[in-house]
Amino acid sequence: MTQLRVALAILSLGGVALGQSAAAQEPYPSRPITVVAPFPPGGVADLTARPVGAAMEKALRQPVGVVNKTGAAGAVGMQFVATSKPDGYTLLLALSSISIIPEADKLFGRPPAFTVDQFAPIALISADPTVLVVRAESPWKTAREFIEDARKRPGQISYSSSGIYGTLHMATELLSHAAGINLRHVPYPGAGPALTAVLGGHVDALASGPAVVLPHIKAGKLRALAGWGERRVAALPDVPTFKELGYPEAEFYIWAGLFAPRGTPEPVLQKLRDALRVAVNDPEFKSAMDKLQTPVAFKQGEEFQKFFEADARRLAEGVRKVGRIEQK
Amino acid sequence: MAETLQNLALGFSVALSPPVLLYAFVGCVVGTLVGVLPGVGPLAGISLLLPATFGLNATNAIVMLAGIYYGAMYGGSTTSILMRIPGEAASVMTCIDGYAMARKGRAGAALAIAAIGSFIAGTVSVVALMLLAPPLAILALRFGPPEYFALLLLGLLVLAYMSGGSMVKSLAMAVLGLLLGMVGIDQMSGYFRFAYGIVELGDGIGVVPLAVGLFGIAEVLATAGQETPPEVLKPRLRELLPSRREWRDSVMPIGRGTVLGFVIGIIPGSAHIIASFVSYALERRLSRRPEEFGRGAVAGVAGPESANNAATSGAFVPMLALGVPSGPIPAVMLAALMVHGVAPGPLLIKQSPELFWGFIASMYVGNLMLLALNLPMVGLFVNVLRAPYSFLYPAIIMFCVVGVYAVNGSVVDVWIALLMGALGYLLRKLGFETAPIVLGAILAPMIELALRQSLAMSDGQYGIFLSRPIAGSLLASGALLVLLNLLSWMARGLDWRRRLALTEKGENL
Repeated sequence: MTQLRVALAILSLGGVALGQSAAAQEPYPSRPITVVAPFPPGGVADLTARPVGAAMEKALRQPVGVVNKTGAAGAVGMQFVATSKPDGYTLLLALSSISIIPEADKLFGRPPAFTVDQFAPIALISADPTVLVVRAESPWKTAREFIEDARKRPGQISYSSSGIYGTLHMATELLSHAAGINLRHVPYPGAGPALTAVLGGHVDALASGPAVVLPHIKAGKLRALAGWGERRVAALPDVPTFKELGYPEAEFYIWAGLFAPRGTPEPVLQKLRDALRVAVNDPEFKSAMDKLQTPVAFKQGEEFQKFFEADARRLAEGVRKVGRIEQK
Repeated sequence: MAETLQNLALGFSVALSPPVLLYAFVGCVVGTLVGVLPGVGPLAGISLLLPATFGLNATNAIVMLAGIYYGAMYGGSTTSILMRIPGEAASVMTCIDGYAMARKGRAGAALAIAAIGSFIAGTVSVVALMLLAPPLAILALRFGPPEYFALLLLGLLVLAYMSGGSMVKSLAMAVLGLLLGMVGIDQMSGYFRFAYGIVELGDGIGVVPLAVGLFGIAEVLATAGQETPPEVLKPRLRELLPSRREWRDSVMPIGRGTVLGFVIGIIPGSAHIIASFVSYALERRLSRRPEEFGRGAVAGVAGPESANNAATSGAFVPMLALGVPSGPIPAVMLAALMVHGVAPGPLLIKQSPELFWGFIASMYVGNLMLLALNLPMVGLFVNVLRAPYSFLYPAIIMFCVVGVYAVNGSVVDVWIALLMGALGYLLRKLGFETAPIVLGAILAPMIELALRQSLAMSDGQYGIFLSRPIAGSLLASGALLVLLNLLSWMARGLDWRRRLALTEKGENL
């Protein structure tokens, strides 16, 4: 829901109409900014966007509203930002899937919903490896057991994801390819419903960001088998990485970064980059990310560009290897 | 039991502390407002206020957000009853009989029954939430896609009870609704369907523009098109209160709506909407005077309005006991908890008893506040009907347009609402009911996703619907319902539907 526009509508009903006609001459930012989170509330994008928005609000002295524009594994929200006015008032908090979707479109030979070069990267905020979780009652105690069983019973072990070609889907498919196994995919609309599905036993496994599954692991409902990171997840020191287990291709991060539509004037981008640098050092932002158990991995400029491109290459390669996913 | 009482005492000590009381009140007021505004629903309201809760502590934040959620269920009935505009999606059913009551001069009674029904449902369902949350949450988790599909299929049967008169006509409208529900991105493959290059159609046709157009705008057009304008209603004070018969007719629907709403509310999904549909159908099925439905049957207001309130408490069951979202609104509230460092999960009740019990207690208090807030407003709101139509109708159109725009900030939505208004006008002239369209459009995407997820789970085997106990028994009861209806239809040949069609024909002559 576009709470920002709701706010505007309510404000203008109350007589606080904003003079938007003179916007062109006004210094940036002179009116509220919208950060589009292309996934439903409660997911990683949403949970990162909200504290980022709050901290940016302080740095920019303008309201920053988070809007969940969901659908098609994030494509709707991303396309929305790609085609919106490049004035710095509509930003995107994207996850890794921003590099996946255009690649998937290419695979299907359809006109792309958007392309990565429609965006100007502003900053990387966090990069968390996914972890593979199964229910505590399930027979697999280790990732090895899981992979071996999956090899014996191809297509029998199922997993949920946040949507077709979404981050959680791609993470699992990268593993499937690296380990030479075949798992059954059941897409859900968002990470929250995907977690509910594995907790309820409707699917067997889920690749998830660590933060949302940690309480369930602590409560003994879920078991983490392995992580996709280069290093182990700090909160789960006993859980190995796939790299350690001999599957270096299974590397995947749910990263969250802020983007503007390409064509946003350089001074505006600079202002946003500066604001972001202030925002990530904001104590409230830091404590917010601590509470979410999401380590901040701030990168911007050249550094972010490089990370972004390397990740996009890896994912593009992944999508091509996975190929067209047949629909039943 | 003693322990529960002790915990509840702790809860009330939290809930009655001045800051918690204040935030509960703010939540209830905001909730009532977003409920009253056409289009803007609890999700928008909660998302709007979420950043404002960052500075509060977890208990204050969650109490305020919950207040918005159940407060919206109170407010949602107001415009439905007075102007036939659903204040939010769960109030669609109230538009039918609530508005019909208003046309008969019983607006005050309808509003009062809606508020009292909401209060009873809200309070009773909190008791259930308090006593049964952990075991029920386990049950909620067992509802996977196959179970949801079976439930929604039962929901489709409800369509048959949606309207009086011609079954063929109402089914035709339901199918139109199902087709409209097909518009949008295919969740399973990412393809755009029937979007014709309009990005906004990728998310499908929203419930709000559809319902506001078909009900609100169509109503204005239809009334304005009459040769003699209808008399301006002059509600009198003594007519504000429900009559003895209206009370009698409401008691059971409120009770049934409460149970039904709570049970359906537990199930993950947009349960408060479905709960109100199913309650309406149930009341009509059980009523001794089903022909009154659609013409101002008080049970058609009491049932659904209670059900949508009870469903909000139901939705908190998996959220509080397990830390899993049962819908978009609990998902935002879970996010609010995480933002405050409270990890929502199975250990929440144990680790943060003052939060859980404070939350429970604040819902008792909040429901009282809402009753105190809404009942006196009845007299005020009813006066809206005194306005001459030449002033009232342009205002209604304006509220419709603003409300629809506000939901997604989308001009496309406004066009959809206007087009649907025109379509609704046309269909009414041709004697079609428009409510089944809305129901079909809401159910279609849910049914499709559940069906295809189930088949993905089973690798394409349809047996999954029969082999799982909950799904199987739901489907069996649906089959039984159809069979019973067929039998009675064959035996009697002339049921209330036919009688109603005959009377309607008689009136038109």
